[in-house]
Amino acid sequence: MANAPGSEEFPPRRNNDNNGRTICDDFAVGILRYLDNDLKGNELDEFRSHLPSCADCRKHLEEEEALSRLLHQTRPLYSAPAALRARVSATSIQHSVPIPVAESPYEGVFQFLREHLTRPGKRLLSLRVLVPAALILAVCLALVPDTVRQVQAASYVQSAAEEHRKYVGGHLHLGLQSSSPQVVTAWFAGKVPFDFRLPVAESAPQNEPKYKLTGAALVTYKGSPAALVTYEGQAGQISLLVASAKSAAVAGGDEIQFGKLTFHYLTNAGYRVITWSNHGLAYALVSSVAGPAKASCLVCHQNMADRDKYQMHP
Amino acid sequence: MTLGRGEGNPPSAFDFGKYLDGLFGYALVLSRNRAEAEDLVQETCLRALGAMERLHSESNVKGWLFTILRNIWLNELRRRRTTPEMVELDSDAKGVIDPPDTSKDPHAIYVGELVREQVRAAIGQLPVEFREVIMLREYEELSYQEIAAVLDCPPGTVMSRLARARSKLRELLPRLATTPPSQEKDEGRNGEAVA
Repeated sequence: MANAPGSEEFPPRRNNDNNGRTICDDFAVGILRYLDNDLKGNELDEFRSHLPSCADCRKHLEEEEALSRLLHQTRPLYSAPAALRARVSATSIQHSVPIPVAESPYEGVFQFLREHLTRPGKRLLSLRVLVPAALILAVCLALVPDTVRQVQAASYVQSAAEEHRKYVGGHLHLGLQSSSPQVVTAWFAGKVPFDFRLPVAESAPQNEPKYKLTGAALVTYKGSPAALVTYEGQAGQISLLVASAKSAAVAGGDEIQFGKLTFHYLTNAGYRVITWSNHGLAYALVSSVAGPAKASCLVCHQNMADRDKYQMHP
Repeated sequence: MTLGRGEGNPPSAFDFGKYLDGLFGYALVLSRNRAEAEDLVQETCLRALGAMERLHSESNVKGWLFTILRNIWLNELRRRRTTPEMVELDSDAKGVIDPPDTSKDPHAIYVGELVREQVRAAIGQLPVEFREVIMLREYEELSYQEIAAVLDCPPGTVMSRLARARSKLRELLPRLATTPPSQEKDEGRNGEAVA
């Protein structure tokens, strides 16, 4: 039986070809595909149609099926030792923590100390000078990082207040005017180097919202893009500045713990400012509304189940 | 209140757990040495952590990890410029703790472990290129394309090697690998099965 020209059906309709291959040779090749359920349509029909007429191929198929069953029932063939699992797990955890790469302002001091303490002949003189210096340095090391953070946080508050002043004074150009949190979220996508999302309402507003989302602006903080979202209400205007915690710090003021977050209540240029950080972002909520500062939190919480915690009660 | 995640958020630890049995088994059939296999797996995980950002999607993690492991092993071979030490796999398997199967009775567990040891020994007698394809296909269920990527050869070569590897295994495991299905057959006068 000769194969039709151009046909590529399996197995070929021939007893042997010029190379001496038989149907059974091709059947052997197809067994693996058959066991993998890879034969379809005409190929599968041809494969199955060969079986009744060839005991050798039937036996071959049965042996391959038995081998597959045997190998699969011995899975897994090996199990990783518990000690290896523990080492790999520890390595994975260790490498998941980012290694601080911030430059240390004390590196030069440490280098100076190393040089003087290891220089022969001058060691005694160096110790007389450097030991007291090391003590003073140790005290400074305990205090300076916190001081640096306070300064950075104050800078963030000042910037947030400045943006709010421009907004209130009508000098802020809103890149987007919208009352939809989803639209504002989508607008910031790709503009800021972080995943910014405004919360959507958890439930239908029971009353008229106290604050209405008005729009958004792309601003910069320390040279990095930051998000500014603006709100308006009968009580006044509110703005929310959001920046990456890599460039912005929050600290100082009256600290109030709420759940897992620490809120910092401050004032700057006559404005009430609340700052906090969460998931790698630094937030600064600025308002000039009367009443408790936390009432400005209603910009996001007014449509949430916990809105009552922020309501101003007479 | 969740307003998104910052870029400075520390990444969570990558979970190698589901790949470790397979990586260890593959490393063992390559190196035929338990301590070396553990080192291979650990080095593989370390290299993978350092190159995680190059991973395009979750779907190719398994093949990628096996490729790393194989490359480390090949580099080690080149470094030593010696052939792998021929060590009986049974001695390597000592101390390997298999997962206890609490769903079976002790006798079944014992029999199962005997069978597993015989299969290990049979695979251990195969040439390394056959051992590789058997592990990657029959135990790790990588596709022919994925195996071809790991071994850096065409998929057709993978299929050919697998067919020959299985043929060799059937010779090495004659009694275990010829157990017919539970359905009885009629046999003709000459002992041939009748369809």
